[in-house]
This record gives sequence, structure tokens and C-alpha cells, in this order.
Amino acid sequence: MKPILLALVLVLLTLPLSTAQDVGFAPEEMFSFSVQVPYGAKEGGLAVQGSNLSAYLFVESFQHGDMDVRVHLDLPDEFEVKDETVQMFRLHTEYDDWYRFIDFHVPPDVPCGIYTINTTAYIDFGDQHEIIERKTTLRVASKNEISDMISIVSVVIPSDEDGVGDPSRPENSIILQEASPFINKIKKIAGMGDSNEDVRVSYVGVEIENNGDEAVPLIVSYEILDIKTMQEIGEFKPTLMGMSSKTFSYSNIILPARSSKVVGLPIYTTDSVMGGEYLLRARVTVTGSNWDAATSDNKITAISRNWTSVVVSLVAFFLSITTIGIFVSRSNEIMNSFKTRHLVMISLFGTASFAAVNIPMTFLWEISHAVFGPFSFLFTGIFYEVILYMLIVAAVVLIPKPGVVFLLLMVRYLLNGIVLGHFNPVFLLSYSVNAIILEIMLYAAGTTRGNMDKLKTGLACGVADAISQYVSFSLWMVLYRLFYSDWYLKANILIDGFIYTFIGAWLGIKLGSKLKKVVE
Amino acid sequence: MIRARSISEPTIKDTIIHRMDPRAKIIMLVAVSFIVVALDNPETMLILFLTVLGGFIPAKMPLIKLKTLGFLLLLLIWGTMYSQALFYSQLPRTVIFTIISPDLPFLGWFTHGGLFIYKEGIHYGAVQALRSATVLSLGLLMGWTTDPRDMLNGLVRLKIPYSVAFMVVTAVRFLPIVIAEVATVVAVQRLKGFKPTKFGYGMIKTALGILTPTLANCVRRAGVLAVSIESRAFRANPTRTYLKELRCSNFDIAIITITVSLAIAIISVKILFNLYTSEVYYSTYLREIYAFARWYL
Repeated sequence: MKPILLALVLVLLTLPLSTAQDVGFAPEEMFSFSVQVPYGAKEGGLAVQGSNLSAYLFVESFQHGDMDVRVHLDLPDEFEVKDETVQMFRLHTEYDDWYRFIDFHVPPDVPCGIYTINTTAYIDFGDQHEIIERKTTLRVASKNEISDMISIVSVVIPSDEDGVGDPSRPENSIILQEASPFINKIKKIAGMGDSNEDVRVSYVGVEIENNGDEAVPLIVSYEILDIKTMQEIGEFKPTLMGMSSKTFSYSNIILPARSSKVVGLPIYTTDSVMGGEYLLRARVTVTGSNWDAATSDNKITAISRNWTSVVVSLVAFFLSITTIGIFVSRSNEIMNSFKTRHLVMISLFGTASFAAVNIPMTFLWEISHAVFGPFSFLFTGIFYEVILYMLIVAAVVLIPKPGVVFLLLMVRYLLNGIVLGHFNPVFLLSYSVNAIILEIMLYAAGTTRGNMDKLKTGLACGVADAISQYVSFSLWMVLYRLFYSDWYLKANILIDGFIYTFIGAWLGIKLGSKLKKVVE
Repeated sequence: MIRARSISEPTIKDTIIHRMDPRAKIIMLVAVSFIVVALDNPETMLILFLTVLGGFIPAKMPLIKLKTLGFLLLLLIWGTMYSQALFYSQLPRTVIFTIISPDLPFLGWFTHGGLFIYKEGIHYGAVQALRSATVLSLGLLMGWTTDPRDMLNGLVRLKIPYSVAFMVVTAVRFLPIVIAEVATVVAVQRLKGFKPTKFGYGMIKTALGILTPTLANCVRRAGVLAVSIESRAFRANPTRTYLKELRCSNFDIAIITITVSLAIAIISVKILFNLYTSEVYYSTYLREIYAFARWYL
């Protein structure tokens, strides 16, 4: 028994000692300590001569209780340190952490090569004192070396969010949003509009390759330039949520050694961006440097579509087709409602309008353009609006019936086609829409029902022609791909479309009244 | 000096173009009008325009007509180039001349930042003018090689109501008379001291002075003409016969088939291509068609 008892006593005596030894922890179990030089490089980093970098220090406690830490970053003497390299702090609880960015500059004249950076952490936790060292390397390379190492393999426009090309979308093109305030208003009313006026339209995918043996921290970005002046187009970098979209349209990556990666970057735009040809310059810079390690220039096309004009043209097309269809299918009924004398009179008025408006304007239109430039509508409007509406309204005064305007304009269109070869779809649609709207407005004003009120007739004709002018411009823009400035359209619609037409209609009633005496 | 008659009256000859059925001419004109609207490729548009111009060679048009055509084309192309040089709104664009400076009081503000002539707009205008020029040239070729009565006969056979055709015949017939009357009245007005070209209210006053007697004659003539044609049983029967029956030759049928098929094919391809470029519809099976539309149409 004695030996057993003796052993038991020995065990009991040694137990507190072994327990006391278990209270101490291995350093790696006490806390986490990591260093990244530059920030993001988990293994050996790379820097270009003349760059500004940050070393990243991180400490996290795994213990309850106060832990005093002192970290010392030992950068090579050749580097210019901008912050304190010795940092002291206290961690209080489990998972409490601390991090710092220590900025430093790699001067341009620093010799290329691999530099070792030692970082030491001195930890006091209770009675325990630990020292941990981390050793990282930073390779300083020249611009030529980096240029040989980093390259842009491809640039894909448009792409998806991950930068992967989409064959269902036209190559090297971006579709711009609708630029029409009208459609934007409708979208907002319908709740479909983006609350932010600036809209992301597409993505660009940039594939970058690293042929070197070190991971490289890179910034991938792009800029869209005027293809001639090479100036950056600001409209492609709008303000979003109070910040410049430059903040959103770059990507910070660490490209591992001997690898490639595709990065997707969003392309933003504003309503004021014009369609046309641009140059998209993809840029790759090594983190901390403004110098482009690789660039790639790509010609892109911004496709702008004025959907308001397209919709207006489609409506005009269907309206014209429907009206012409109804007219052809019920032509006997419609034509029989007119006396032969009326038909002859309408055709002669059609001839007169053609002789007084179309023939002189075939020549004068372009000549006035040359003389008066964009303000030629002030002159041409006298023929196209004042004289034409004098004739139209005079015909309605003589034959106050619905359908007179339609027939008169049809005769004018066919004459224009047969004599001047203007069998043009734009003319057909313009004349049709003009006839339809004018018939509706004159009927509403009572003119084609026999109530000859100068003011009402003038207003009816003015409004009808203003609408017709807008439709006509839309047709030219869509079908013949012509451009017109907003101010030009507004001035034409207001002055030619409304004011001149109003005057023409007013005078037309006067002229019609005179001609009525001839008839009587 | 180009006179109105040189534009309005056809030159009747016996050429392959003149012998074409008016229906074939009208259908071809409509088909080509749709084709020019669909096309975007400058080279293809130029080829189409030159092809149409080539039609004037077998038509053996007199010099005055060719001069008229040249003059009208020149005005048309110049006008489009000029307007597009002003309003061109694509990038890149290079200002070569300032018409209205942005700093100019009122006009600078009115024109939303000035008015400039853009170099790229001139080129763009020239290309886009090819559409109008093609339709104008073909229209004049058709108009100058077809008797208006045949043209209207063709329209009637294409289901244009007879009464409408009659109205257009009347209009065509009386066009030279109305033009002559307008010229006479203008001469009289000038003798009385009016200045027809004086800008502003003077022009309107002159127009009123010209239109009143011209239209009064039209009104009088309408009464006489109505009695005259009614006495010849106008609209007495629902159907009517024609002195000249139209017959389509094999050449006409070939022209109609080719132009209509071409128009349908081009428009269909362009619609598919536009749906693709608008990101509305895409099919991998149509990739060859997209490529064709992009490069040739």
C-alpha cells in the first residue's frame, strides 16, 4: 500500500504545477498577425520604381483580457516612410482587432531587386511576453520589366457583369438610353423610370495577363475619349448618388503570378451623350503608381436612338395605312357624296396649290437655305404655310364638307409624285397625317360643318399643322436619318407650324368669301 | 433658264423605259422608296443611285431634262449637306466655321450654344442625300417617260379609285394652264407696281393678289367642266372601260419580281438587324445575316 500512497501524494503534489503550465498559450493561438506589402499581396509583392504604396498590418486577439501590442515595421532604408513605423496599442477582448496602413514611397532611383521587409510584434498578455516576426518580400521592378510582365489580352464591349462577352449584343457597341424628355416623363409617370437620371448602360470586360513570378496589385480602369481630340468625354463619367462614377468604374485586383483574369467594369452615361464613334482606352496601373503598365485602345460605336421619333413614325405609319385603307375600301361611298363640280374644283385647287407652292419651292427651298441658312423657314413658311393654308381654307369655305382637305392633299401628293417624282414615303406619311389631323381639327372647330369662325379655324389649322410639322420632322429623322436641333424644331413648329398657318387660315377665309361671290 | 414645262411634261419616245408598263414603274418606284429607307451602307446607296441614273441612258432623255435633273439633284444634295453640316449631332465632329457664336446676345441662347458648320456633317449630309436623290431621280425618270394618262391608268389598275384618278388627270391637264395664268397675273401685278419677291407682308399681299383671280378662274372653269363631263356620263356606271388596255410584258414582270423581292428581302434583313442592334431579339442562326446587314446594307 505504501508505494501506492506515495505515488498518489506525488501526483496530488505535482498537479498544481502541471495546471499552472497549461495556462500559457502558444503565440499563434493567442492572436493573429499578418502583414501585406503592398496591401493585398499575401505573398511576395511587386512595386514599380517611383510608386506610393501602403503596407498593411493586422492584429487580432483570440484571448479575453488586455493584450498590449507593439508592432515595428522595418522597411528598407531606400524607401521613404511617410508614417510611424512603430505602432503601440491595446486589444481588450476576444476578437478585438487593430489594423494600420503605413504609407511609403519607393523612389524612382531605387535599384531594382527583391527587398526583405521584417515586421515584429511584441505582445504582453498577463505575464506572458511573446515576440513574433513576419518576413515578406517586395520586388521593385522598372517600368520596362512591368510592361513586359503585364498585358491586356482583350477588351470585350459589351460584356456581362463578369466581363464575359455576349454574342447577342452587337460587338464594340453600346446602346445609349432614350434621349427624349417626352419618353422619360412617361417612364417616370408610369414608375418605370430610374430615379437617378444617370443610367448604367453596359459593361466592358478587360482580360489582363501576368507573365511574371510575383502577384501584382493592379488597378483596372477605362476612359472614353473623343476619337479626334483624345479628350475624355465627361458624360461617360456622370455623378451617381453624389459621387463621381469614376469611383465605381474601376477595379482593384491582385493578379497572381502566371495567370490571367477578366474584369468587368460598368459603363455609365448621361442623357447628353451623343451617338457616334469613340475611343475606349482600357488602362492597367500597378497599385500606387499613376503610370500605365498596359493600355489598349478600342474604337467603339455609341448607338443613339430617338425612340420618340420612332414611336411617332410608327403611329403615323399605322394611322396613314388605316385611313388610306378605309378610303380605298369605301371610296365609292365617299366620292359619291361629292358633286362632280366639287371634285373638279378640289382638283383645280390641288393644281393651284401645286403650282403656287410645290413648283416654286422645288427651287426656292434649297436656294433660301443657302441664303438664309437655318432661318430659311421664315421665308419658306410663307409658301408652305401661308399660301398653302389660304388655298386649303378657301376650298373648305367653298365646299364646307369633311373630306375636302383629304382629297385636296391627295391630289397634291399624286401631282407631286407624277410631275416631280416625289413618290416618297416621307411625303406620303406627312401628307396623310396632315390631312387626317386637319380634317379632325376643322370638324371640331365647325369649319367643315359650315361655321366659318376665323379665330377657331385659324387655331384649328395652327394646331393641326404644328402637330403635322412635328410628325414630319420625326419621319425625316427616322426614315432618312437626318439630324435637327431642338431649337430648330421648336422654332419651325411654333413659327411655321402655328403662327404662319394661323395667318394663312385667316386669310383663306377672306379669300374663300371672295371666291364664293364668283360661285354665286 | 429651266422652265416649268421642262419639268412637268413627259418626253414620249419609243425606248425600253418608255415601253414599260406604268404599273411596273409605280411598283418599282414604291419598292425602291422602301429600299432607300432601309439602306445605311454608303457604298450600296451610291450603287443604287448610280443604277437609277443609268436608267436615263436607255431612256434617251433630251438635254434640257438632264440639265433639270442635274440642277434639282445639285440643289437637293447641297441642301441636305448644308442642313446636316449645321445639325450634325454625332461624335467626332470638327467645327470648321462658326455661324452664330455662343456669346452672341439672344441668338447664342436661342440656338442652345451657338451654330456651327461641322466637317463630318457635310460628309454625312452627302451620304444621306443619296436617299432623296435616288427617289427623285427614279420618280423623274418614271414621270418623264410616261404619259400622265397611262400613269393614271396604271394607278386605277392598282386599285386607286377612279374618281381620284379622274381628279388627278384633271389636275395634270390643267397644270400648264394654271401655271400660265399665274405667270400672266404676276406680269399684270408687276405692271401695277407690286413686287412679288418683296419679303414679308408684301409677299402675302402679292400672293393674295395673284391667287384671287387665278382661283376665280378655277372656280368658273370647275362649273363649266363639271357640266361638260357629266354630259359625257361621268360616274353614270359603276364600272368603266378604257381605250388603252395595259399589258405587262415579261420584262415588266421580271422588273416587278426583282424589285419587290429585293425590297422584301432587304427590309426583312434590316428589321432583324435593327432588332439585334437594339438588343431586342437575337438568334445565333442569324449571325450570317447580321454580318451581311452590317457590311453591305
